[in-house]
Amino acid sequence: MIATYAPIILIITIAFSLASLFFFGHRLLGGAAKFSPGRMEPFESGSESSGARHVKLSVKFYLTAILFVVFDIEVVFLYPWAVRFKELGWTGMGTMVGFLAVLVVGLVYVWKKGALEWES
Amino acid sequence: MPLAFALSPFIVLGVGALLLMLAESFAKQRAGLALGATIIFLATAACSLGLWWFGVDHIEGLEALSPWLVIDRFSLFFFALLCLGGALASLLAGGYLPEHNLDRGEFYALLLFSTFGAMMLAASGDLLTLFLGLETMSIGAYALTAFRRASPRSAEGALKYFLLGSFAAALMLYGFALLYGATGHTDLAGIASSIAQLAAHTPNPDAPVIAAAARAPMILLALVLVLASLAFKVSAVPFHMWTPDAYEGAPTPATTFMAVVVKGGAFAMLMRLLLTAFHDPQSASWSSGWPPALAMISVLTMTVANLIAGRQESVKRMLAYSSIAHAGYLLVGVVASIRSDDGAGSVLFYLLTYTASTAGAFGALILCGSKGAEAVSYEDLAGIGRRHPAAALPFALFLLSLAGVPPTAGFFGKWFVFRASMDAGLHWLTVLAFLNSVLGAYYYLRVLVFMYMREPAAGAPVATPMRSGYVTAALIASAVLVLILGLAPGKSLDIALAAASELGHS
Repeated sequence: MIATYAPIILIITIAFSLASLFFFGHRLLGGAAKFSPGRMEPFESGSESSGARHVKLSVKFYLTAILFVVFDIEVVFLYPWAVRFKELGWTGMGTMVGFLAVLVVGLVYVWKKGALEWES
Repeated sequence: MPLAFALSPFIVLGVGALLLMLAESFAKQRAGLALGATIIFLATAACSLGLWWFGVDHIEGLEALSPWLVIDRFSLFFFALLCLGGALASLLAGGYLPEHNLDRGEFYALLLFSTFGAMMLAASGDLLTLFLGLETMSIGAYALTAFRRASPRSAEGALKYFLLGSFAAALMLYGFALLYGATGHTDLAGIASSIAQLAAHTPNPDAPVIAAAARAPMILLALVLVLASLAFKVSAVPFHMWTPDAYEGAPTPATTFMAVVVKGGAFAMLMRLLLTAFHDPQSASWSSGWPPALAMISVLTMTVANLIAGRQESVKRMLAYSSIAHAGYLLVGVVASIRSDDGAGSVLFYLLTYTASTAGAFGALILCGSKGAEAVSYEDLAGIGRRHPAAALPFALFLLSLAGVPPTAGFFGKWFVFRASMDAGLHWLTVLAFLNSVLGAYYYLRVLVFMYMREPAAGAPVATPMRSGYVTAALIASAVLVLILGLAPGKSLDIALAAASELGHS
């Protein structure tokens, strides 16, 4: 019974030993160099870094991404209906029109609220 | 056509919510959205009551809906109850949101959609619709908790609720997957018959090819996972940690909604699952089933919540812990339902009294606040009995109802639950629940003491009383309901018992 699990046990053992090797081998081979200010700066091919550290992103990126996900999932649901259009007949049409109507209400809401405006 | 009649609560609520969303995006001013949401809720409740009166058995074509949607008296009772809670929450929001500069119309759309999900929970006969309704209800509730965008406390409560709620939903899905794997069914009735066949050691052609020895432990594990997830949703100890932070951070109408509708929907789901799918003699037995676990959870819930509520400095947090304690009393009724015929009906009646009392208590708390600042601590409430009697008197009524003092509704709610558990022979559980109920009276009476027997601290700003027609209307409706249920509970109790009797026959 245990023989059926042998491949998984082997994989887990190899993964665990490899990860431990990388983690503890670092220390065995000498470890990190001592702290010094020059070593702590970000690499810029020799020049000094400038500019703010924290960039404040506008929320419009998040809005666009989320709206894309929602309407993309809507399209995903449209594909099976398109494939079996004839067999699903009028019932399928009615159901999908209802589904699309709900999403169109969402689109109208998003449009009127100005979430589709990029420059504002 | 008759089938559309049976689905009319869902259709009215869904179409109404979409129209409200459109109206909100095109409207120039916000006034009237609260009224619109309340009307939609009341129309949905009227549809469900009309279906009840018409007799839902007379509608042919209901078999086409099952097993996914089960429109029986149990569902109709919950439709009406959840829409009542939603109507009260939207009335409270109509008064609270303009006062606290939160007046955005999305609140009402979220209320409507979330209640739609809760209604789906009450009417589900299949694991898939159960999960769908659960997530619809919960995601709306998460967004409502975070509605006060500028407040870090609101964001913290919403994040805790969202993370823990998603975790609980994942646990529930794992349990559902195990259930499907062990029984081959996703509909609750099929699961029940499959588990019964397993217990009777008869061969089951539906179950997938798994060794029979593996099926019983799978079902047990599924039961544990599902029970843990359900206990999270009804905020039972020790799965209650999200409740005080989420309730305190949310704007008070959102808290009311969560305390009333989300809790009602979660209890509907709990009863549908435990009393339909896991109701076979072995799973529902005292020796090897869920009743002792649920009884332990309920004792822990009542005791821990009552003890912690007494130590709270914030009134809203105290009310959150009090709603946790009430979940404990409700769980006593659920445990009693395995041996007593009245157990499930007493839970439904208690939910009705709890809805009216809690919505009223939060509404009175809203009236005690003023422009931009809520009444947070007990000291904020000092002397309100004299300054603002229109807020203090209903608050006193609802607190007495929550404590279970006759002749208010809460007394009869507790009485029927305790009587059902005595009938079931669970004497120790009843005694513990009774003692907890006495313990709980402390923190309700403490608010009364502060309101009527303390003076506001010298130098504290005496706020101008908040006046709102919407909140007053909600308070009047809740108070009327509390008094009617407290003085003449017979008819409502009969309705609750009739609704509960349909539970095992899906």
